[in-house]
Amino acid sequence: MRFGALGVQAFIRIASVLIILGAVLELVSLRWVHPLAFVLFAFGAVSLIGLGILIYLASLVFTASTDSQSLGRNAKAGT
Amino acid sequence: MGSTGILVALIGVTIVLGAVLLTRPAITAGTTGKILAFVGLCVLPALCIEAGMSTHMQRSEQTQFCVSCHSMTTHGQSLYVDDPTYLAAQHFQNHRVSPDMACYACHTDYTIYGPFKDKLQGVKRIYIQYLSTPPAVIHISGGYSNLQCLHCHAGARNFEENAVHHAMMDSLKNNQMSCISSGCHDTVHNASAVGQLKMWRPGQ
Repeated sequence: MRFGALGVQAFIRIASVLIILGAVLELVSLRWVHPLAFVLFAFGAVSLIGLGILIYLASLVFTASTDSQSLGRNAKAGT
Repeated sequence: MGSTGILVALIGVTIVLGAVLLTRPAITAGTTGKILAFVGLCVLPALCIEAGMSTHMQRSEQTQFCVSCHSMTTHGQSLYVDDPTYLAAQHFQNHRVSPDMACYACHTDYTIYGPFKDKLQGVKRIYIQYLSTPPAVIHISGGYSNLQCLHCHAGARNFEENAVHHAMMDSLKNNQMSCISSGCHDTVHNASAVGQLKMWRPGQ
């Protein structure tokens, strides 16, 4: 499957899900003062939120490259 | 509202914005939607990570955090030993260090508080605690540095004017002679003997 086949909105959805899950994990980790809460935050919440941010940023790159390809096609067609 | 309250509010806003973008991703086609997506999927989550890390690091400095590990239970109990020769207990009971941050005050370079290498050590200890078998007697890797004592005691009148300290000041500052293992202040936690010792009960 091509990277772009998913579409920008799918990237936004995936990023949203990951960020929501990470934020919920962070909320849970704040409920108690314990080393496991720190582990939950550092390895669970940060990973999910970080991945969500990266996927969102990837969607921006995808959008920019799609836009530039469309502009190129339009220029060739003289529109 | 404390810093934790602000963080919880921040996380709440992030979840709400995330939910809006999850259910209606088409709004990102417009300029306002693009800005909303940038804030909701980049700025706020990054702030959540930064503020969350800061909050968790502050929490990990609390005595309650350290002694919540099973293998640290006896070290926590040793803070209540009713014996003036017990170094950690005397510092804790007489508020020479803040009781809420008693462990951190004397172990500021320990595991996650030190540089990256120490943070990895901290993660390794968590692994040992939950997925392996902790050693019966816990030792600080690299030994206990006098600098931990001197960051409070250096310059203090009763420390500097003490004849014994004065005579060996250079050795103490160079860490050539340890404060705690040279027959001077060598009873620190003695955690393995805590069960047989008389304990101090606050308020009695």
